[in-house]
Amino acid sequence: MVKKKIAKVLAFRYKILAAILILLAGGLVLLPKYQKHEGIKPEELLSNTISPERYMTTDRLAHILINQDPSFILIDVRDEKSFASYSLPNAINIPLEKLFDEGSDSYLNQNQFDVVLFSNDNFYADQAWILCNRLGYKHMRVLKGGVNEWYATIINPLKPADNMPVTDFELYATRKAASMFFGVVYPEQVKVEAPVIVKEAPKKVITIEKKKKAEAEGGC
Amino acid sequence: MGPLIPNGVIPFEWDNIIAILIGIAFGFVLEASGFSSSRKLAGVFYGYDFAVLKVFFTAALVAVIGVYYMDYLGFLDVNQLYVHPTYLWGAIIGGIIMGVGFVAGGFCPGTSLCAVAIGKIDAIVYVGGIMVGIFIFSELYPLFQPIYEGYFYGNVTLEDSLGINPYWFVFIFSIIAIVAFVISDMVQKRVKKIFY
Repeated sequence: MVKKKIAKVLAFRYKILAAILILLAGGLVLLPKYQKHEGIKPEELLSNTISPERYMTTDRLAHILINQDPSFILIDVRDEKSFASYSLPNAINIPLEKLFDEGSDSYLNQNQFDVVLFSNDNFYADQAWILCNRLGYKHMRVLKGGVNEWYATIINPLKPADNMPVTDFELYATRKAASMFFGVVYPEQVKVEAPVIVKEAPKKVITIEKKKKAEAEGGC
Repeated sequence: MGPLIPNGVIPFEWDNIIAILIGIAFGFVLEASGFSSSRKLAGVFYGYDFAVLKVFFTAALVAVIGVYYMDYLGFLDVNQLYVHPTYLWGAIIGGIIMGVGFVAGGFCPGTSLCAVAIGKIDAIVYVGGIMVGIFIFSELYPLFQPIYEGYFYGNVTLEDSLGINPYWFVFIFSIIAIVAFVISDMVQKRVKKIFY
């Protein structure tokens, strides 16, 4: 009895399979569409964001620039005007609003280089970092403090006070040396030594008195 | 999450091993369903056996529906899947040559190796022919190179070239498949039965 029933169903097995296929395919068409989440998961983005590893200090950047490390790309996310007036050496200008324009993708979305983003502070650079990170771009860093911090620490380092620890003096010496590399000239560097004026003794006129020739005296 | 290897769920060093395992499974299924018989394969051209058409059409259909459901549910990213590049004239000419070989020899390259594995003499001759063809192609490669490398259209899919919604395409494709199955069944009933 059961076998008969099964046989009855199985007689339609190809029709049932065909119906299942069409139903499934039709389901795809009817399913409500949703905007797909692109890039990394929100949790991952959050944990990346609060990680201090995403920042790079100006000292580290100076070290990289001085050693001419080829594995870093500097990207200035400020506008063209600021970029034209001053930027870090060998930086590329990709303004924040043009971050995802054609052509900038090859700098941002790649695996070979570490990308360092910077702006005047780290405010806009952070925004750029979040946008890129969400899309899953790798090796993105932000210059902590941006160009302002660069000025305050590398270009114009503050001389430590006398009562500060020796490490501060060492850091100051390093930063000063770095600033010299980037073209800052210090007064002690240009101080021309004052010419030592050798006092010449006043000329003494020594009159040599000629001895009068002794007159020939008569003798014999 | 998926595809598993590009996203590092499975280390990429495993891909050759996985390929071998899938290949063994594929070969086993081909042989188990009788696809190592050239008479069964050639039946699709003479109208007495449409197993080939049904099997490959169903496989494509199940795969495409499955892929799009997995994509919808977020298990797989369709955009990360490998799309075979299109060299238009290379594909057309290659397709014609392969089709002629299929009708004449009764095997496609995969099933011919399957049949060699179970010791069919016609398949051994067929594989020898494949080797001769490969040799001729390699020797005359400079002659064929402009066709082989020309007419490049990139890694396009029907979605790109027709601008069609993939979900509608899958639906239409499945209806076409079912209609093809029904028609092939009707043809099969009319054609004289051949015992093989």
